[in-house]
Amino acid sequence: MTTQNGNDERIALLQGTLDLLILKTLVMGPCHGQGIARSIQRQSEEVFFVDHGSLYLALQRLEDRDWISAKWGVSQNNRKARFYSLTKKGRAQLHEKTSEWLRLSRAMGLILSGGATPGGEEA
Amino acid sequence: MFKHKRSTEDFAEEIKAHLELEADELKDEGLSADEARRRARSEFGSVSVAKERFNMKGRALWLEDTVRDVRYGLRGLWRNPGFTLVAVFTLALAIGANTSIFSLLNQALLQALPVADPDQLVVLSFAGSHPGHTHSNGGNNEGHHHEFSYPMYRDLRDRNTVFSGLIASAPADVGVTWENHAESVSTEMVTGNYFETLGIRPALGRLFVASDETAPGANPVAVLNFDYWKTHLAEAPVVGRSLLINGTQFTITGVTAPGFHSMVWGSTPAVYVPITMQRAIEPDWDYLNDHQSYWVDLVGRLSPGVTRAQAEASLNPLFRSLRTSELSLQHDQSAKKRQEFVNASHLNLDDGARGFSPLRDGVKTPLTIVMGMVLLVVAMAIVNVASLLLVWAAARVREFSVRYSLGATNRQILRQLLVEGMLIGAAGAAIGLLLAPRALHLLIRWMSGRSPQEPVFSATLDWRVLVFTIAATLVASLLFSLAPAVQFWNPRLAESLRQQTGTGVGGSLKFRRTCVALQIGFSLLLIIAAGLFVRTIQNLRNVDAGFATDHLLAFDLAPEMAGYPGPAVAPVEQRALDAIAALPGVRNVGATNDADLADDNVSGDMTVTGYTPKPDEHFDAEVPWVSNGYLQTLGVPLIAGRYFTAADTATSMKVAIVNESFARHFFGSALATLGHHVSRPNRPATDAVIVGVVRDVKHSTVRAPAMATSYTLFSQAERPDGLRYYVRTWQPPDGAANSIRAAIANIDPKLVVGDLTTMTAQIDDTLLPERTIALLAMTFGALATVLAGIGLYGILAYSTAQRTREIGIRMALGAKRGTVVGLVMREVLVLAGGAIAATIPLAVLATRAVRSELFGVSIADPAVYGFGILVIGLVAALAGFIPARRAASVNPVEALRSE
Repeated sequence: MTTQNGNDERIALLQGTLDLLILKTLVMGPCHGQGIARSIQRQSEEVFFVDHGSLYLALQRLEDRDWISAKWGVSQNNRKARFYSLTKKGRAQLHEKTSEWLRLSRAMGLILSGGATPGGEEA
Repeated sequence: MFKHKRSTEDFAEEIKAHLELEADELKDEGLSADEARRRARSEFGSVSVAKERFNMKGRALWLEDTVRDVRYGLRGLWRNPGFTLVAVFTLALAIGANTSIFSLLNQALLQALPVADPDQLVVLSFAGSHPGHTHSNGGNNEGHHHEFSYPMYRDLRDRNTVFSGLIASAPADVGVTWENHAESVSTEMVTGNYFETLGIRPALGRLFVASDETAPGANPVAVLNFDYWKTHLAEAPVVGRSLLINGTQFTITGVTAPGFHSMVWGSTPAVYVPITMQRAIEPDWDYLNDHQSYWVDLVGRLSPGVTRAQAEASLNPLFRSLRTSELSLQHDQSAKKRQEFVNASHLNLDDGARGFSPLRDGVKTPLTIVMGMVLLVVAMAIVNVASLLLVWAAARVREFSVRYSLGATNRQILRQLLVEGMLIGAAGAAIGLLLAPRALHLLIRWMSGRSPQEPVFSATLDWRVLVFTIAATLVASLLFSLAPAVQFWNPRLAESLRQQTGTGVGGSLKFRRTCVALQIGFSLLLIIAAGLFVRTIQNLRNVDAGFATDHLLAFDLAPEMAGYPGPAVAPVEQRALDAIAALPGVRNVGATNDADLADDNVSGDMTVTGYTPKPDEHFDAEVPWVSNGYLQTLGVPLIAGRYFTAADTATSMKVAIVNESFARHFFGSALATLGHHVSRPNRPATDAVIVGVVRDVKHSTVRAPAMATSYTLFSQAERPDGLRYYVRTWQPPDGAANSIRAAIANIDPKLVVGDLTTMTAQIDDTLLPERTIALLAMTFGALATVLAGIGLYGILAYSTAQRTREIGIRMALGAKRGTVVGLVMREVLVLAGGAIAATIPLAVLATRAVRSELFGVSIADPAVYGFGILVIGLVAALAGFIPARRAASVNPVEALRSE
């Protein structure tokens, strides 16, 4: 994943996270590529920068995995666009990945905020 | 992987839609139409790159991920140089050894002859009796007699309808004189259609054609082998020039193309001559018109469209009828004889793509054994690298757990591990392939020993070896990279990871123990094999030959190779004996036409006066022709009668000396033997009276038991023959060799002193297969021990480090250092003991397969097993002791803090 410029405010997406974000975005309903990109950027309060080349590659990957499906349709402003929607499999994945991610980020948060007792590791 | 393929156009359409949607939105945010379009494009990044990435997706999505995995793997390996070096080096050694040995196996057992369309070739052999004289170089077995008579060959060649060519050849050693330099080389007598049928082209001049095989003695032309021409004649312009073969002038017509040696695999002739020149090559014999001299090997090329079975069916009636007419030429035409000679006869056609080869039978078992050992080494290397990878992977638990949390799938993790394994495998294979030709070269040079002949094996690797190596590497890489994968590829990963973190327990401990046990087992097997073969060699070297083999020099002298005519041969041989006897330091000198302990035999059946053979008795005795000082030179003790003396001459009464076995078989006792006459059946000129009986000595090889022997004098023999001289001298071998050469040159510079060597070196030559196995077994045994040491150390160091905390607690509670060392060592030794106990019965089973190659040592030899256990025990102890000491020197406070 690459950032396009040296914008400090934006964070390059970690491997695997983009997939998760796409799945999450599609929970709201079918959406086209441009909409997904906008949505991720907007919802992350412009912290994440989405490289569009990677986005379409990721979409293709998810489609190949049968986590999402695609079909051509017409957008609100009457433009032809390819709409992606979440499959049953994708929904299950989203659920699993989300809970993993939350556990990880909670642990990270606990450690980084420093106040909490060190958990997780028992010897 | 991809269910439906999206077209490029479809993707381009999507991008176009994206840009328009984005522009629309930007316009809504207040930008001008142009500005919005421009922004949309620039925000998107490079459209062409996106398209390109999509276009390449079929390969590329996979490729891109792989490239990333490779990069990531390389970085990881680079950051762990110790691990990487050991793993790659281990594999390189194993793969190098594997490739080298497989290359030999491939050349001997798999590779086709380097001729045109080898698949069309068939090797001919026959069943049925073959009364008369057979000149064989081995390779015959029941129902497969490979030597035919030349008249039979001609009839088969001229009257068959199934071959596009039928060729024959026979090997012989000759003396070649080129530019006044004489040397002994091997030659192949071949038929005129030999090269044409095999599809061999000349590198220079022309090769033989049918008109080079006309009548006995009428074709004094020669073709040189490329290698001989290159190494011995320095690529001189030879076409049209002549060389002397056994004193006869031959005109060189050409040189063969490089790479070709013979239709017989393992035969490396220097010179080819037409088969019709047989008398010039072997002056003592006249085979060409004799139906009862079996001496040529036959290979046919099937006509296109003819199968082997069809050809065999078509040839047998012809063969039968030829045998029937041959029978009418023989004395004995009884019904029994007819049954054996005609009715039981059958012509076999066997696959000839790899050529006829007596040598192949000889190397098959040793090579298979060595290949088995090398596969054990490879198995060891796999276990070794697997355990190292496992140790490394265990240290990466956190890395993997983070990747899982970030959405990596099992497949991605697995692929990452496989890619890393393949990287190690590829590096190991590359180095191994670089090492292999060098190792092969050394091995081949070692195996060819003192032999002046071109080595049979070559140190180059062909495609089959490369494919084998690559396949072996892939399988090996797959196996060892799956070891950690099995550990990580777990649906309930989070839990399993948590369990493993920090402690030495969990699923991997069992696996690690298995690795250690396997390593100990494999290396113990190899050490035991090495021990058995080393014992075999020791035993063979210490076999009592019955005479002293030290201070004994041997060399060949064949005056016929220098062009001496028959009657002049024995006198010059006698002159050589006298000249050497007069040399300073020489105690004794003798000669025989039947070299001792050189894997040679000259034998035949005997008629003995006063002895009535049992019905159907066929008793072969060794019948060497010797000089009168021969028995004394070797030091064969006399039991009864007398030795040969100088008074026994060409013209005096013919005399014989027999050995104990001979006396026992025919007369029961030595004394009863004296005065009886012995002769070869139907050869009255060989009749001789027995004047002495000597003790049995080993003759053919140190492995073979002594044979019944009847010694007669070469000076009283029917015909001349080349001799092997034995010189008992107290001078150092080199000095003695020089004075012997000078003495012979003094008689006639054209005389070739061939194969001058010490008796002990000659015995070693006959032990070459055993010595080769022993050498390789020792190499592999040592290699396995080192690998086991490294592997054990790696695993123990890791698992001990994992227990640092536990050890710290124990020490904090008052455990002594010795106790801690003992704790670790006990674990190691219990594990080693278990592995050893499990391996011993396996070793006894496995070594049964090599029993035929052993000599004087039991497959359960306690000394060998004891030594193996001791070595492997020491290695295990050492590998355990270092980490144990390190653990014991741990500071308890720091150990507790280490989490």
